[in-house]
Amino acid sequence: MKIDRRLLINVDWVLLALVVTIIGIGLVNLYSTGYNIHTATKPLYMKQFTWALTGLALMIIAASVDYHFFIRYGYVIYGLSLLLLVWVTVQGHIAHGSQRWIYLGGFSIQPSELVKLTVIIALTKYIAENKFGDKYHIHNLAVPFAVVALPCSLIALQPDLGTALFIVILFFSLILFVGVNRKAVMIFAAGGMVVAPLLWFFLKDYQRERILTFLNPERDPLGAGYHIIQSIIAIGSGGLWGKGFLKGTQSQLKFLPEQQTDFVFSVFAEEWGFVGALVVLFLFFSLVLWGIKIARNSRDLSGTILALGVTVSIFWSVLINIGMVLGILPVVGIPLPFMSYGGSSMVVLLIGVGLLLNVSMRRFMLQS
Amino acid sequence: MKERKRKLTSYDPGEFRRQFSVLLWVVLCVFFFLSFKMWYLQIIQGDELRQRSHNNRIRLQEIAPLRGLILDRDGDILVDNQASFDISIIPETAKDVKSVIRKLSDEYKLGREPRADGNSSRRYTAKPFVPRKLFRNIGREKLAVVETNSLDLSGVVVDVVPVRKYVMGEMMAHVLGYVGEISLNELKHERNDIYRPGDIIGKLGIEKCVDHYLKGERGGQQIEVNVSGRKLDVLGQVPAIPGNTVELTIDRDLQKACWDAFQEKAGSVIVMDVRDGSIRAMVNKPSFDPNLFNRGISGDDWNRLVENPLSPLQNRAISGQYPPGSTFKIIVAAAALEEGVISGDTTFYCNGTYDALSRPFRCWEKDGHGRIDLYRAIVESCDVYFYNVGSQVGVEKLAEYARGFGFGTKTGIDLPSEEDGLVPTREWKLRKFGEPWQIGETVTLSIGQGFILVTPLQLLRAYCAVANGGTLYRPRLITSIRTEDGDIVDEYKPQEQGRLPVSPETIKRLQRALWGAVNDNRGTGAALKRKTRDVCGKTGTAQVIEQPREEDPVKDQVDVPYQHRDHALFVCYAPYEHPEVAVMVVVDHGGHGGSVAAPIARKVIDRYFDMKRIKDSTGKEPKVQASAGKTGRL
Repeated sequence: MKIDRRLLINVDWVLLALVVTIIGIGLVNLYSTGYNIHTATKPLYMKQFTWALTGLALMIIAASVDYHFFIRYGYVIYGLSLLLLVWVTVQGHIAHGSQRWIYLGGFSIQPSELVKLTVIIALTKYIAENKFGDKYHIHNLAVPFAVVALPCSLIALQPDLGTALFIVILFFSLILFVGVNRKAVMIFAAGGMVVAPLLWFFLKDYQRERILTFLNPERDPLGAGYHIIQSIIAIGSGGLWGKGFLKGTQSQLKFLPEQQTDFVFSVFAEEWGFVGALVVLFLFFSLVLWGIKIARNSRDLSGTILALGVTVSIFWSVLINIGMVLGILPVVGIPLPFMSYGGSSMVVLLIGVGLLLNVSMRRFMLQS
Repeated sequence: MKERKRKLTSYDPGEFRRQFSVLLWVVLCVFFFLSFKMWYLQIIQGDELRQRSHNNRIRLQEIAPLRGLILDRDGDILVDNQASFDISIIPETAKDVKSVIRKLSDEYKLGREPRADGNSSRRYTAKPFVPRKLFRNIGREKLAVVETNSLDLSGVVVDVVPVRKYVMGEMMAHVLGYVGEISLNELKHERNDIYRPGDIIGKLGIEKCVDHYLKGERGGQQIEVNVSGRKLDVLGQVPAIPGNTVELTIDRDLQKACWDAFQEKAGSVIVMDVRDGSIRAMVNKPSFDPNLFNRGISGDDWNRLVENPLSPLQNRAISGQYPPGSTFKIIVAAAALEEGVISGDTTFYCNGTYDALSRPFRCWEKDGHGRIDLYRAIVESCDVYFYNVGSQVGVEKLAEYARGFGFGTKTGIDLPSEEDGLVPTREWKLRKFGEPWQIGETVTLSIGQGFILVTPLQLLRAYCAVANGGTLYRPRLITSIRTEDGDIVDEYKPQEQGRLPVSPETIKRLQRALWGAVNDNRGTGAALKRKTRDVCGKTGTAQVIEQPREEDPVKDQVDVPYQHRDHALFVCYAPYEHPEVAVMVVVDHGGHGGSVAAPIARKVIDRYFDMKRIKDSTGKEPKVQASAGKTGRL
């Protein structure tokens, strides 16, 4: 594989700058969450830094190989990730508990994070190969539906309903973007209305609790509502300028739970205030807009869908996570891209960014 | 390559224009909405949520003040504070809560395992890292055992709690009282802004009476805690202000002397300064140990106190109501002299019986005293003389003078639950029983029996007034209230409450007769006779049940059931010239005043003058202990 010199010229530095900046902010913030924890092992921000470096390396690879290669082998990649998912699910059932990780030597990976990306690739392959100018009919959607349903049911079994729903949302975002006919929309709507109440019965108690709590957080302020109340207190108490780096009482005194993963943004908003939070929101906003620009500027459909898939995935994650910590959405375990601690999420996201770079770089190549 | 080309040609970049614009709007709206919500939380609700974050991390911890000391008139400590040790467990830091508790109660013999029923539900709702109390008030020896074995007892902590130490034990229980946790009833009646549930409050005696001075002011500290409630830092502190020191008029040594002198089952001894009404000693028997109440009295101990027929909790000196018996005769004499019924020389003939009415009234001397005057009538306590005088004075005048001598109303001493006593009148009898006053009842009243009731303190005050020339002082128990540093907060000066409604000549006559009652060979209080000093006094026998008049009055009370025996009274003061001290002795169901009560009074008076002599010879009064009071704090 030879690297075209034009590729280097066309590297999307804005995208890279945005991502690296957000990762930097995330690392600083993680440093703060671990400031009062003294452990013998490597501090969390250092681990995250290692993951970020790993992710950046993989990103370069993902950007270097022509993205059409990935799409060509889209189903294979998808199939491999699915195998990992099956493995982890079976393992989990043996262990009688929620099992989301595969342990490989010294580190562990979370296949469900990977599947988010491989589903996008598989869907891109299907759409790119089966776009006939028309809107999709319901029978056209059988394959993509299967592509989504398989991993979703496996992930839901783990059980990780948040991620499963996230993939469903991703699927609909892409399908609706490409266009489906009215009849299909009606069928989906009807299906949703039938499934939603059925789903309620399949939910575990704690999951129902979360939904009820979302509707009224003060219902059980020390139990299920505790997370969201403490998060709102943390964010609100930051005020305009914040309490200052390392000075967030909610986070430093551990009133805020899950502050390195799901509620990492609350820590940031407490210490850096409205101004800081707005800066981060603006960075994410810019990143999403830039991703959309890349999708729009792509010279072929697969590039558009691939870029769009990655961008929409980031967009939904930001919306769901920040909506959750602000109390707008129920508590589901969707991490904040590039800021929540988590190796799998970080690496997969950076591979996704690599694909974005890939599409962005190659728009000129295809033109010629 | 072919494949890719085919796809490329089929792609129209403008195809998704509408979708892209919809997507852009969605993204814009979402980020706008998130920013708006952020602004709402951080700017609009910022202050409120900041306050909530403060409330999260800052807890207020109260610091209980030390209760004030109580000192005697020489500055000796009567009530101190001492450390009591409680054992608690912090379940989160204990390895195995159950085995630790079992070890404490079985191996180290700290008592029964604390009740599990109430705690089981509480354990789940309790805040984390809040110690759970297991054993209260373990002794120092057991504390030592726990401390030496602390390695085996993970999660066990020792709390030091200040408790009262009543140095005199049961000797002064009724004056000092005791403390306990405030009851719901007290919370309702006391001013709520001062008292809170769980507060320690005086329940009896001085502890109750000047609780507001003794309790001090609670302080507090703001502490920063983390989510598990662990204390991280003290942000601010307001120290507790210890309670004020109360100085009493009581003389500790004299109090002990009274306690030692009083060997009988039940009764009371009061010593009062004739010159200003100060109480020098006040002893009640039976008594109780106020230290028992320190950490909540046990049910068994409490039942023993309450079910004791001799009521150890009662302060007889102020709430015991007795017929004054013969001690009342000086009031009858004063009334008669003042009203002109008799002069100093008027005599009556006593043949042992008063026969003016339909039924005979007997003199205690069944052979009679013969013809006697007022002096001898008081000295020998002739009943017949006073039957004659009293019935001539009449019930209304007798009541008037009784009130003039301070009977029938509270003396106003600084102690709770004082009784009024009772001065009967015609109007009272009619109101109470719906029956008219009988002349025979006046006759009975003349020797201090029948309806009339006085408290020992009232009687003592009346005799003090006779001794000091006619001034009724308010019985004084507290001299001053001081801060810990010795600054005076409040002073209790001697307080004149009135004068006896009698002339100086009458008072002189009464004093002379009271001198005679002790020092005359025929005096009923001759047991007290001393060569060195002149003691004046009067015996009294308060009848519990009316004695059969037709037969000889029962002399030997041993044959009478205890609860029907007469109360023995004796009240005296000394010296005759410039009197200083007066002593009142009541022996419940003790029989005759002269034989039972007077010897007790003698010991007390002797002790008083002995102590006075020692103090005079060693120079000034020993005031050294006043400073010792401060070091005596915890």
